[in-house]
Amino acid sequence: MLRQDINELLTQTGPGTPMGDLFRQYWIPALLAEELPEKDSPPVRVKLLSERMLAFRDSEGRYGLVDEFCAHRGASLWFGRNEGSGLRCAYHGWKYDVTGQCVEVPSEADNSSFCQNVKLTAYPLVRVGDVLWTYMGDPAKQPGLPEFEFAHVPPEQTYTSKRWQQCNWLQAFEGGIDSSHVTFLHSGGLKNDPLFKGAKGNEYNMKDTKPFFEVADSEGGLFVGARRNAEEGSYYWRITPWVMPAFTMVPPRGDHPVHGHFWVPIDDENCWTYSFDYHPVRPLTTAERQAMIDGHGVHSKNIPGTYRPAANMDNDYLMDREAQKRGDTYSGVAGIAMQDASLQESMGPIVDRTKERLVPADSGIIKARQKLRKAAIALRDEGVTPPGVNPAHHRVRSAAVVLPQAESFLDSCRDAVTAIPGVPQSSV
Amino acid sequence: MYASESARAASASEARYRITVPIAPARAARVIALDARAAAVTRRVAGGPWANARFYTCEVTRGAGGSNEPAGEVPLYGLDGSPAALGDVLNGTDVVVVLATDDSGRAYAAAIGRACSASAITTAGVVLGDGFEAEDAVAALRPHARVLLLSADESDVFELLTALRV
Repeated sequence: MLRQDINELLTQTGPGTPMGDLFRQYWIPALLAEELPEKDSPPVRVKLLSERMLAFRDSEGRYGLVDEFCAHRGASLWFGRNEGSGLRCAYHGWKYDVTGQCVEVPSEADNSSFCQNVKLTAYPLVRVGDVLWTYMGDPAKQPGLPEFEFAHVPPEQTYTSKRWQQCNWLQAFEGGIDSSHVTFLHSGGLKNDPLFKGAKGNEYNMKDTKPFFEVADSEGGLFVGARRNAEEGSYYWRITPWVMPAFTMVPPRGDHPVHGHFWVPIDDENCWTYSFDYHPVRPLTTAERQAMIDGHGVHSKNIPGTYRPAANMDNDYLMDREAQKRGDTYSGVAGIAMQDASLQESMGPIVDRTKERLVPADSGIIKARQKLRKAAIALRDEGVTPPGVNPAHHRVRSAAVVLPQAESFLDSCRDAVTAIPGVPQSSV
Repeated sequence: MYASESARAASASEARYRITVPIAPARAARVIALDARAAAVTRRVAGGPWANARFYTCEVTRGAGGSNEPAGEVPLYGLDGSPAALGDVLNGTDVVVVLATDDSGRAYAAAIGRACSASAITTAGVVLGDGFEAEDAVAALRPHARVLLLSADESDVFELLTALRV
């Protein structure tokens, strides 16, 4: 249960809101690098944190993220011509560079200085890994670039996709730190998904459907440990890191690639789910990469040419009651990503958390909300930089391990939950 | 016109038609402090607007008790100092939240955890501190506590109880 005013504080991320200001302390994914594949690529509409922008790549290959609308009369620059190191409005020919600076106003005199005084709001857009990241906050406080491991391993070891999710970012994100749903909602995936199946850990998952949880602070957010019975005298631990504000990793299974998510608010009723898979020490196999492209694991099969899942709320998520009856899927919806998204979207655009009945197993969610709320208020009232801004906080990993019952997962897994280049993931 | 039943059902306008009824406090919680600092936290938290929560301390918070598990009934005390037996305290409850800040109450942690397990009472442990001063208490609680929250933030206790609607 959450008070309505706190629910609003956590779910509203537009300009001037406390959570919006919090998100604007971080580098966040703006789009995939594949969306601007070459110099003078077609521009792409981007909406983040309730701000409408346009991303483009100029003739020199530089990335820009600028206000979508021309400063002249408010026409969308999406119709513009991306040419000659700038984006030219299709209406009257005003032209802008990647910094948003207007560089040409054809109706003015040839040597007029008018355009020097015209500048669109613009944010930095930087490629790290397969993602183009932006920072929408105070330039004077711009932190170091993201150091998440998935974005720093060689390209052949990593794959990132994204999908549009039709609900507020918080209810999507909360699924990422809620380990107890896996045994139910994703039970079919543990048996059948090519990126999940076959791991010894899956057996522990399926045998013990009532995990115990330990939640502990980390420098950048939290570690959530879910514990299930393993062999006599030992526990199977699945450790999920959360780096504020919206990065989580799923504990690995066997030698399958490690995966995770970054949830980015589009506006208060929509978000982007960025999903990644990487292997710390080896290239992804052809079969693994193809499985990801085909929408297995944490990825989704999208409508070609879009980032909207093929199974979506407009087609009832391609509900298959027969598959549900047979036990191929638990909910009747295929694919781990859409199993999550279908239920999270079913809550409505912004779930009313005043009506929840949480249980102790939801403590990770309770604690995460508390940390977000406190960080947003500390930033607003005292200017305190929140956890997760420091790139050093990004160097975390998920882990799946079997430990003697007496051991603390925090003590035993410090190395396992630290991203160390060239060191394989800890996985069962 | 919506393309599907799911699209219509998930819309903001349809959210208005969700059945709204007052939600009664769901849990009869008992909060038990295992050591002196935890008892101080418990006293502060107890002033909150709780419906069914009851708050207790145990023997070690009064300077008595020891590292050995108490023989027989575990002696507890209400915040007014009145003695209460663990068995009586657990009667009618469905969740116990145990608070610890150090290891002095580890024996009680084990005894309380075992008693809760035997009675099918969900147990949550909140261990407050910056370091790991309560490793033994955590280890004693681990087999029984459905969730262990290790935190430096005292307000987590309040937040947990609020979220659980106690």
